[in-house]
Amino acid sequence: MSGNPAQTGSHGNLDEQIAQLMQCKPLSEQEVRVLCDKAKEILMEESNVQPVKSPVTICGDIHGQFHDLAELFRIGGKCPDTNYLFMGDYVDRGYYSVETVTLLVALKVRFSQRITILRGNHESRQITQVYGFYDECLRKYGNANVWKIFTDLFDYFPLTALVESEIFCLHGGLSPSIETLDNIRNFDRVQEVPHEGPMCDLLWSDPDDRCGWGISPRGAGYTFGQDISEQFNHTNSLKLIARAHQLVMEGYNWGHDQKVVTIFSAPNYCYRCGNMASILEVDDCKGHTFIQFEPAPRRGEPDVTRRTPDYFL
Amino acid sequence: MAMLDEPLYPIAILIDELKNEDIQLRLNSIRRLSTIARALGEERTRKELIPFLSENNDDDDEVLLAMAEELGVFIPYVGGVEYAHVLLPPLETLCTVEETCVRDKAVESLCRIGLQMKESEIVDWFVPLAKRLAAGEWFTARVSSCGLFHIAYPSSPDMLKAELRSIYGQLCQDDMPMVRRSAASNLGKFASTVEQSHLKADVMSMFEDLTHDDQDSVRLLAVEGCASLGKLLEPSECVSHILPVIINFSQDKSWRVRYMVANQLYELSEAVGPETTRSELVPAYVRLLRDNEAEVRIAAAGKVTKFSQILGPELAIQHILPCVKDLSSDSSQHVRSALASVIMGMAPVLRKDATIEQLLPIFLSLLKDEFPDVRLNIISKLDQVNQVIGIDLLSQSLLPAIVELAEDKHWRVRLAIIEYIPLLASQLGVRFFDDKLGALCMQWLEDKVFSIRDAAANNLKRLAEEFGPEWAMQHIVPQVLDNMNNPHYLYRMTFLHAISLLSPVMGADITFQKLLPVIINASKDRPPVAFVTIILCGFRVPNIKFNVAKVLQSFLPIVDSSVVEKTIRPCLVELTEDPDMDVRYFAGQALQSCDQLMISG
Repeated sequence: MSGNPAQTGSHGNLDEQIAQLMQCKPLSEQEVRVLCDKAKEILMEESNVQPVKSPVTICGDIHGQFHDLAELFRIGGKCPDTNYLFMGDYVDRGYYSVETVTLLVALKVRFSQRITILRGNHESRQITQVYGFYDECLRKYGNANVWKIFTDLFDYFPLTALVESEIFCLHGGLSPSIETLDNIRNFDRVQEVPHEGPMCDLLWSDPDDRCGWGISPRGAGYTFGQDISEQFNHTNSLKLIARAHQLVMEGYNWGHDQKVVTIFSAPNYCYRCGNMASILEVDDCKGHTFIQFEPAPRRGEPDVTRRTPDYFL
Repeated sequence: MAMLDEPLYPIAILIDELKNEDIQLRLNSIRRLSTIARALGEERTRKELIPFLSENNDDDDEVLLAMAEELGVFIPYVGGVEYAHVLLPPLETLCTVEETCVRDKAVESLCRIGLQMKESEIVDWFVPLAKRLAAGEWFTARVSSCGLFHIAYPSSPDMLKAELRSIYGQLCQDDMPMVRRSAASNLGKFASTVEQSHLKADVMSMFEDLTHDDQDSVRLLAVEGCASLGKLLEPSECVSHILPVIINFSQDKSWRVRYMVANQLYELSEAVGPETTRSELVPAYVRLLRDNEAEVRIAAAGKVTKFSQILGPELAIQHILPCVKDLSSDSSQHVRSALASVIMGMAPVLRKDATIEQLLPIFLSLLKDEFPDVRLNIISKLDQVNQVIGIDLLSQSLLPAIVELAEDKHWRVRLAIIEYIPLLASQLGVRFFDDKLGALCMQWLEDKVFSIRDAAANNLKRLAEEFGPEWAMQHIVPQVLDNMNNPHYLYRMTFLHAISLLSPVMGADITFQKLLPVIINASKDRPPVAFVTIILCGFRVPNIKFNVAKVLQSFLPIVDSSVVEKTIRPCLVELTEDPDMDVRYFAGQALQSCDQLMISG
């Protein structure tokens, strides 16, 4: 071999790890530690409003449904050939949070220019202790170290992204304390998601049919009306706010006179909701195409709907 | 050696961990039991560790399960086979616990150990253990005992054998259904160790008892016994003893038992032989195909091909085909899906005429089924029909349906069609193919779903292989090259991929003259001027550029080394100076291949 070993070897290990993760096999604790150290270096350089170029495919919640993430790649194309922007909530609820979040972080480290991963409200120490990621880490690694490593890394995830200065992408929604994108750029995001305030709102708020700001039934963030979205888009010269955070039966849902769109990428959410998933392709000419998909056929898992026991009827 | 991989933890710590409050630590420790044993040495393992484990079985099920598993492979650590018996007491205790998984694993480990023990040791240690469990007061012990008889029996002297048979007979009549279930499911294994003379007398009467059990969960396990016992009996005895039982079971009042018969039907028909199957089992099978429980029809429908093979064309047409017709419009989609997954195999059995007359209409209706799994199951096995009815008829009757499915809204159905195209192409021949399917093949390259585009690119390569480079030069290559201006980068990527796949088939000249210029052009990923002004977008997408680097790398073994130096290398060098790091990386990889080629060439 005459090849430059530094160049051939530089990604060898990571490429193998990605191949392993693609088969839904988790990395060792040590490998996770090294991976997250590298990820931290990359993520800390990114902005609170991370600029992203088109073409890019925008995706919503995944929630540990690894096999559906694999289906998403079968539908949208493989990374790095397809550019991706994920809008948070990789963990909790589904059975494979560890594999899902490790894969996405590994892709981020290997192809930092091809994939953007934002923070969702579930990328938090508190929430993951209630909704499954913490328990899954304990079960799969025998201790909480991997949970600690990941939740420490989540603090560095960017909060929002801006595609070609036109599409503002974030997990939840707007905040009464934020008027301009510069407001967002200016605060220190490296911390646990707070219970209130602008950073909390970005990850927790929902659009609503009622005008103005409302109290969110979630207990965190706000609801915001069409007037708020229009004002925000106008002030910041935006065409669209793309966000996730809410289950929508068709996988995507327009709101606020096409000023806001909700994208949800976990089909049959929690393995029972019966919803479609979708992704949004923004192409070279900034055209928009939604692609919907259904749950991946599960290998080895029995067809659970096959027979409803009589006592349910 | 494993020793090298895992550090030898200080033994005191591991033993300490066995008693730790944290279940995870106990579990880890149990998993490293062999390490502890190695550190202790054989004698201390026998005298200290095993007794310790025997006493500490009041743990979480998860820990007990791990313990049951580890002990099964523990013979080397206690000093070899002659000391194997020391492992029996802790496993015996595990055979009596509440949790089924733990008991099953303990029985499995006991059998594993028993298989290695000497005959005399079996008699001294294993048989008494089996007897103790069989006489156990709590039903869990008796359940476990049933799985040990096939190990205990062969080594025992005659007197003991008689006793073991009688104990097993009692287990078959135990008060607890759980015990009778275990006796039923282990009966086949036990019977295979029993001598022919006792088989007919003792074992068959136990079997008889189980088939009349008032619990359906016991009876359905006896169904499995039919097949395994049948194999042990002479054919004539099988007909007189097993057949009536099967016929009875096929009309059992519990659908679960009938389901079991439907599921096991092929094995059962093997047990009674083809003659008897034809004469006696057909009515039973027809009844199952028409059962009023969908679950039973699903199991039965899945066997139509295998069963028809035994019956031969005449009986199959007479008895099975009418049922198949009904099942193809069954109200349950799962029944239709099960039928669709096997029905194509009936074509070779029924031969050409009957297939055309009777089966084709059924295929067509299943191809249009509203449930995608049904359609998918038919498409993926179409080749079995070609062989029987010939391509002309297939193309006339089925092709319209196939073309329709090429645009099915479920992408996995489209995928199945694409994967079937090369085979279809080879059988249809060039002219017919051009007329009907050529356009479809190009259309799939611009499917919304990546996997379809990817399969479509592969399909083009296989078509080029099938019909040759000249045909491809006329029908595929120009369209593909034209599309390198597609405004969507993911579609341009598909065409790039297709070019890379086509080049080895097309050969050096065409790759150099036609393909390479387009790829070099794509390395800048710039649209034609008209595009820029009309649609206002000027690609320059890094993803295209690094895929260009990959395609150029794939050209290296195909084109002349002068072309590599004059055209490919300069283009790659330019790409290594791209602002995008991924473009630089893949261009660098391709350049390395150039260098290697220079050295080896």
